[in-house]
Amino acid sequence: MSDEKIRLNTDWLCDCGGCHVALVDLHEKILQVLDSVEIQHCPVLTDVKDYPPARIGILTGSVRTEHDRHAALVMREKCEIIIAFGTCAVYGGLHGAGLAHSREEIMEHVYRRSPTTKTDTIPDAEVSELAKMVTPIDEVIDVDLYLPGCPPHPHFIFESLASLIEGREPRVTQDSVCGRCKRQMIKGDAREIRNTLDEVPDERFCFLSQGHICLGSATLDRCLAPCPNHGIACTGCAGPTMQILTEPYLDIRTEVSDRMARLTAIDEDIIKTYMEKTAKTQYAYAMATKMIGNKPTFLIKKWIADVEGQINE
Amino acid sequence: MGKILNIQPVTRIEGHARITVHLDESGNVEDARMNLMSLRGFEKFIEGRPAEEVPRIVNRICGICPWMHHLASNKAVDGCFDVTPTPTGHKLRELLQVMAHINDKILHFFFLAAPDFVLGPDSDYSVRNVIGVVKAAPELATQVVKMRQLGQMMLDRFAGKAIHPIAAVTGGFSKPMREAERVELLKDTQTLLDFSLFALDFAKNNVFSKYLDVISELGVIKTGFLGTVDRADGSFRIYDGKQRLMKADGSYVDFEGVDYLDYLGEHVESWSYGKMPYAKSWNEGFSMDLSEPKGIYRANTLARINVCDQMATPKAQEALEEFRAAFGRPAQATLLYHYARLIELIYACERTIELLNWEGITDTDVRAKVTPQAGRGVGVLEAPRGTLIHDYTTDANGCIESANLIVGTTHNIGPMNMSVKQAATALIKDGVYDQGILNKVEMAVRAYDP
Repeated sequence: MSDEKIRLNTDWLCDCGGCHVALVDLHEKILQVLDSVEIQHCPVLTDVKDYPPARIGILTGSVRTEHDRHAALVMREKCEIIIAFGTCAVYGGLHGAGLAHSREEIMEHVYRRSPTTKTDTIPDAEVSELAKMVTPIDEVIDVDLYLPGCPPHPHFIFESLASLIEGREPRVTQDSVCGRCKRQMIKGDAREIRNTLDEVPDERFCFLSQGHICLGSATLDRCLAPCPNHGIACTGCAGPTMQILTEPYLDIRTEVSDRMARLTAIDEDIIKTYMEKTAKTQYAYAMATKMIGNKPTFLIKKWIADVEGQINE
Repeated sequence: MGKILNIQPVTRIEGHARITVHLDESGNVEDARMNLMSLRGFEKFIEGRPAEEVPRIVNRICGICPWMHHLASNKAVDGCFDVTPTPTGHKLRELLQVMAHINDKILHFFFLAAPDFVLGPDSDYSVRNVIGVVKAAPELATQVVKMRQLGQMMLDRFAGKAIHPIAAVTGGFSKPMREAERVELLKDTQTLLDFSLFALDFAKNNVFSKYLDVISELGVIKTGFLGTVDRADGSFRIYDGKQRLMKADGSYVDFEGVDYLDYLGEHVESWSYGKMPYAKSWNEGFSMDLSEPKGIYRANTLARINVCDQMATPKAQEALEEFRAAFGRPAQATLLYHYARLIELIYACERTIELLNWEGITDTDVRAKVTPQAGRGVGVLEAPRGTLIHDYTTDANGCIESANLIVGTTHNIGPMNMSVKQAATALIKDGVYDQGILNKVEMAVRAYDP
């Protein structure tokens, strides 16, 4: 390692700020990182308002406004390596659910129809206009490295920074969340889909085996599996596995329904239909990415319309 | 023609904001505003989702206070399904709420605000940050990093995920606490309590006394306050209680969170995505006029410290008495938010210890039976940045039909605009300003920890 510090910029686009907190949560390791890294533009920690040239650029959040788009372009110009950091940057994230609602619908709801709002004004001055869609950052700029996770566990953050500092490949696997889950997959006798309100599932066995939808087997591990190890099924917040992303006819619901059918006495089609009906939940984090959106099997607008049609009938 | 100064982004805060200062021809401040730059629209896209899943979705509203969204949302869903959590489930949720407050306060005071005080508001911007603090006061910085780590690890160990938590569920909590976990948490919290007492002493000696003139002038405005107090005796509360809305003269009304629509309204300006809540029940409308504000109240630490009759724990009560003797009730100086934050840090540690010592805390009955149904629920608690309100209605299938959210930070958007204007007007004269002055304008915002 040379004596010259590696210069780092970070910026947040449309997000919750949690990814930047996760960076701070390297804790004592951040002191170690600071030995070799100089943090420049990083709005949560420093007062550097412009974007000095840097070796590494970390971008969190997705592109929601013109302001976000501009920040992404400037970061690309000033940084040699861009990391799409966190699920919003990589896949669009939860607010990619904007896909299911137009920006007009969202603005109308928030600024006119909310029961507390007493004015009739939609913000349109001095604010950056909302884009029609929420987009992952690689639809705006080239990305060198992807680190999904909501937020990524500090274990992976440290490994990615350490590998860049040391100029080596990061030591990460493509395992699913199941890889770190302590629950055991067994053939169970569940005959219908259950949910958390029906029962507390046995902590020794896989959620799927007990008839509970869990996205762990379809989700990349960038979290160390805290949810299934604490009684809660995986909701897929780090986004789909590489296998699902790369195979056109595989997606989250085909993967989970196939596995769950083999682990229970529930018919695969019943599970698949259930997951289509609850598509807003099952695809919550990754619906804005073209990697999912362009799949021939992914028909989220139809699924949502079907559900809403049934409610309205 | 005048000139517009943009401070963008406002830094060392926890959200996306810009300050716009409008100068007239002679270079004096005509107007100054804080523009919130982001809208995601959670109220809309949780519609149609099974209500019991929503607490794991809405925590993504804020990565700094995900626990509060998670818990307020669970309270709202309890209300929709008309379920009362078991006593242990209720106490475990409160425990996580106060533990998460501990961490938040350490993060804000030491990582975000401290550089202005440890290094000075006029210090060079390139070192005026936590890394600069690490260099200037390495022992303090190492200690702070360790304490923040301890707090975050406590959440991680017991509840699985500190950022974007999952452990609270409708009707209570997802898992009981084991005795070994309790003992370990108790030991760690004692360490944090010792640190919090040190932190207040440190700040009294090195910050509040040294910057008394800045504190008594910068961003000072006169407003009302909103917070949560104990239903029975008016003590400081952050998880459960009644709401107290106080006027600038110290008079107040108390109300139940579920009735918030009768007391609060929201105002929208064309220049910010952030809505501005105001006290509708005062029947005076909304105005951010500095000399005659209307409907303006503040939330967050200073507000809670002002509205409570006393702190419910001994060390925090001692600190409150000293604070009130010095600054009165209600105290108005904006930078006192920092002081109030450290009093709350002590309370959060003491309350964590109380809850861990509560006899039922390791009981295994953590979750009540729940049946999805049509209903309405309003979940209210104190997020670090202010009173947080989640209001849901569900359909017969238990899915969200409509939602209204008032997020903690938003209560202070009107007041922050006023503080920015006050600070800018006082500091920028005849077109003369420098980087230190602009930073002081930002400090007026930073105190609110937006």
